[in-house]
Amino acid sequence: MEEPGVIVAEGLKKYFSLKRGFFETLVSKKDLFVKAVDDISFFVKKGEVLGLVGESGSGKTTTGRLLLRLADPTAGKILYRGKDISHLSARELKPLRREMQIIFQDPFESLDPRMLIKEIVAEPLRIQRVAKNEQELTERVKQILREVELVPPEEFMLRFPHELSGGQRQRVAVARAFVLDPQFVVADEPVSMLDVSIRAEILNLMLTLVQRRGASFLYITHDLALARHMCDRIAVMYLGKIVELGETGLIINQPLHPYTKALIAAVPVPDPTHRRIGDVISGEIPSPVNPPPGCTFHTRCPFAHSRCVNEVPPLIEVEKDHWVSCHLVDRPLTS
Amino acid sequence: MKRVLNTVLLIVFVITLNFIIFELMPGTQASISNLVQNPRVFDPTQVARLLKLYNFCKEVTITGPHSYNCVPTTIWDRFSAYFVNMITFNFGDSFQTNKPVLHDMIQTGRLVNTLTLLGVATTVALLIGTLLGVVAAAKRGSIFDSGSVTLSLITFSLPTFWMGLLFIMIFANRLQLFPSGGVTPAYWAIKTPDLLGQFLTRVQYLFLPALTLTLFFYGGNLLLTRATMTEALSEDYSNTGRAKGLPERTVLFKHALKNASLPLVTNAALSFGGLLGGAIITETVFNWDGLGFWLFNAIGWKDYPVMQAMFFIIALCVIAANFISDIFYGILDPRIKYE
Amino acid sequence: MPVLQLDGLTTNYRTVRGWVKAAEDVSFEVEKGEALGLVGESGCGKTTVALSILKILPSGARIRHGKIIFDGRDLVPLSDSEMRKIRWKGISIVFQGAMNALNPVFKVGDQIVEAIRLHEDVSKGDAMRRAESLLELVGVEPSRVNNYPHEFSGGMRQRALIAMALASNPQLLIADEPGTALDVIVQAQVLKLMRSLKEKLGLSMIMISHDLSIVAEVCEKVAIMYAGHLVEYGSIEAIFKEPLHPYTQGLLGAFPGIKGERRKLTSIPGQPPDLLAPPAACRFHPRCPYVMDICKKEKPLLEKAGSGDHYVACYLY
Repeated sequence: MEEPGVIVAEGLKKYFSLKRGFFETLVSKKDLFVKAVDDISFFVKKGEVLGLVGESGSGKTTTGRLLLRLADPTAGKILYRGKDISHLSARELKPLRREMQIIFQDPFESLDPRMLIKEIVAEPLRIQRVAKNEQELTERVKQILREVELVPPEEFMLRFPHELSGGQRQRVAVARAFVLDPQFVVADEPVSMLDVSIRAEILNLMLTLVQRRGASFLYITHDLALARHMCDRIAVMYLGKIVELGETGLIINQPLHPYTKALIAAVPVPDPTHRRIGDVISGEIPSPVNPPPGCTFHTRCPFAHSRCVNEVPPLIEVEKDHWVSCHLVDRPLTS
Repeated sequence: MKRVLNTVLLIVFVITLNFIIFELMPGTQASISNLVQNPRVFDPTQVARLLKLYNFCKEVTITGPHSYNCVPTTIWDRFSAYFVNMITFNFGDSFQTNKPVLHDMIQTGRLVNTLTLLGVATTVALLIGTLLGVVAAAKRGSIFDSGSVTLSLITFSLPTFWMGLLFIMIFANRLQLFPSGGVTPAYWAIKTPDLLGQFLTRVQYLFLPALTLTLFFYGGNLLLTRATMTEALSEDYSNTGRAKGLPERTVLFKHALKNASLPLVTNAALSFGGLLGGAIITETVFNWDGLGFWLFNAIGWKDYPVMQAMFFIIALCVIAANFISDIFYGILDPRIKYE
Repeated sequence: MPVLQLDGLTTNYRTVRGWVKAAEDVSFEVEKGEALGLVGESGCGKTTVALSILKILPSGARIRHGKIIFDGRDLVPLSDSEMRKIRWKGISIVFQGAMNALNPVFKVGDQIVEAIRLHEDVSKGDAMRRAESLLELVGVEPSRVNNYPHEFSGGMRQRALIAMALASNPQLLIADEPGTALDVIVQAQVLKLMRSLKEKLGLSMIMISHDLSIVAEVCEKVAIMYAGHLVEYGSIEAIFKEPLHPYTQGLLGAFPGIKGERRKLTSIPGQPPDLLAPPAACRFHPRCPYVMDICKKEKPLLEKAGSGDHYVACYLY
């Protein structure tokens, strides 16, 4: 049997209970939950780039935070290298933090404005007590800064975040994430705040760093076109559930779920002779507080029928490396 | 509904706290132990009367010429009596005048005097502060802007009593334009002028204390208005308003100010407590016979009934101000709903 | 005669550290019924151009040179009261719906009515009925005139802003990043709406975006801006078929496609310059792979190049 994956999610759920006033809880017993992540299972293989794609409110960011145990799951399991980490305490997690890292969206808020670049990058090393002495620490910081192309590192080390451009700041965030040579990295929309002309550089840089370390990479984005260029496999999320998961080529070229098809159709194409936006599905993503019953997509799905309203479609493998959760495709495809 | 309940809970809390403070205060206990330990010095019928009056004993029986028997009240007895008195506004008699506290507060004109001073000062400060704040935000970076900001910072940070004394020195002593203190001139006791004369003289007496309090209060309001207006003016709805072809005046006072006023309402309520503090100092400096001046004297006299009443009323005012500001907020901001 | 003609528009911002050269010598034309895409990265001056056309620039900004000829009349020398008559009735603007472009403390209907009654002498009731039919036109339930903006979803807010922009039947509509920051599918819905409105009403349009592919979906002409300069301008087919300016080429390379071959994304080395002290001559020269000596000495002029309706400011051509 092949190795299941560096990180595995099994039936993962995260419900946030809605804040209600003291008196409201006296009046009504019914608790309201935001089902941010609702029973999802997937894995990330060693050395693989998995794209987690969805609109705002799909639960993709929460999923990323759950996998790193930056949030506690309501139910389900997270396995890291076969070990269940879903209930470890903060102290037990500390050695694992060395191997798991995250890069956030906003390079302006994720760096402490009062810290020198050197200290920002050195902090993980200090917390994990990796470097034997100050000299080794400085050496490692220099080395990773060189790797993210902030050269000369001696000069960048002594600057503050506000002295850097957005792209340079995100490079610092990348350096901080990779300085401990992690085995699993989550990047949550790492380039959406950056100027278009410099996005590719940062993305390519992250890919290089991941490949060099043989690490696994979870790339969270709303941009299917970018995911296509970055990822080996793509998981499409809608309202807290994975609706389709598979090898990138299959997802983009032979999508099966109507939502995936709609997402692809909505991506504008830089070709004026081939205007594509014609059949856009209507409506907007519903509130995750009271998600529709059955298949959560049925309210917008052009092919919805009675079964979709009543029954939650399971995520099944319809062909090798291609999983879909839709009543239209409820049995394996025969070629 | 929820807000009303919260407010009631808060009032109960304030009464309890007020009770505990005065239970722990020195003075009362000392005088009582003095009475009990030196019964010979005092007339036992008088002692018995006082012990009963101030609710230290449930029953007092006089057992001899210099001895009596006391069934002491528990803390719960005292608290329940105190609680009922407070919510019925029965504050007891002032130690200084032996008259009911409520009488000293209202019939002497102190309440009206304070309300006049506070009302005039707050209204003027809010109007001037908001108006200047809006103009400063609209003309950000201009001389007007930096001038009004500097001036409000100065008046905001100067101590009230110092400013008051300065005004007395300049306007009352040197220029003799205004009286140096008091609410009305002493000769009114002998001969009161006609209504117009009364009004003009009153305004003359009101001017300096009101000016002091206004200067103390308007600066914070101006700075906050300027900040929130600056933000509102940079929002896209202000640009949309301009692009619609609205005159700048309408963009400022209709579109931007309604948004910018939300924090102002909260601030006005929050700074109400500070304003009352400022009123105590101002009234004392200007001999303005209002509640603040009265409280100041009561503290010197250890006039506990007056202090208790005033603490309670000040707390009630602050609670009421917050309650009202919440309601205003709900009216101004459609995003907030109170069930 | 074009609806709008910019001729050498130069708008600068005065700051304590000097003039920020936000837009310099920008010229383009918008014909009747035509949509022009104004494309560039954040800070390239595209929004400055839009605000200059309406003359609603923030204090400290000034149009220092150039002409804005709208409907045969130069707007630059007009007074504010004269401009107020042109705003919305002549030229209206749609800001990003995801932001606070609708005032959060007024009802959506009242905000549309305000725009109508500012330029036309109609009763409140009539204006409200017009507001309702405008909402219907953009695909929002007419009864929602009585809602506040926070009761609308992001997509509906964007639609309501478009409805409001159409309130006084403008000759020219400026759309500043329509649909940006909205979800992909909602953004596509908004673009579809813009396109159908343009066809139905024969609107002339300027569409501002950082995304070339969004512009490709709606516009006939495109103008590419870099650091305050117009670097390439022409028909959309010409520019997409044969991008001439190295910056345009770089931008196109940075956008991944959903169709076609998977290729390695490219980006332009370096970053956009500080407009307080922009590079001399061609502002793109520090990042340009084909830089020559003359690029550092003299500003290239926008000249006809390639085939068809196509202009580029680059010494390579």
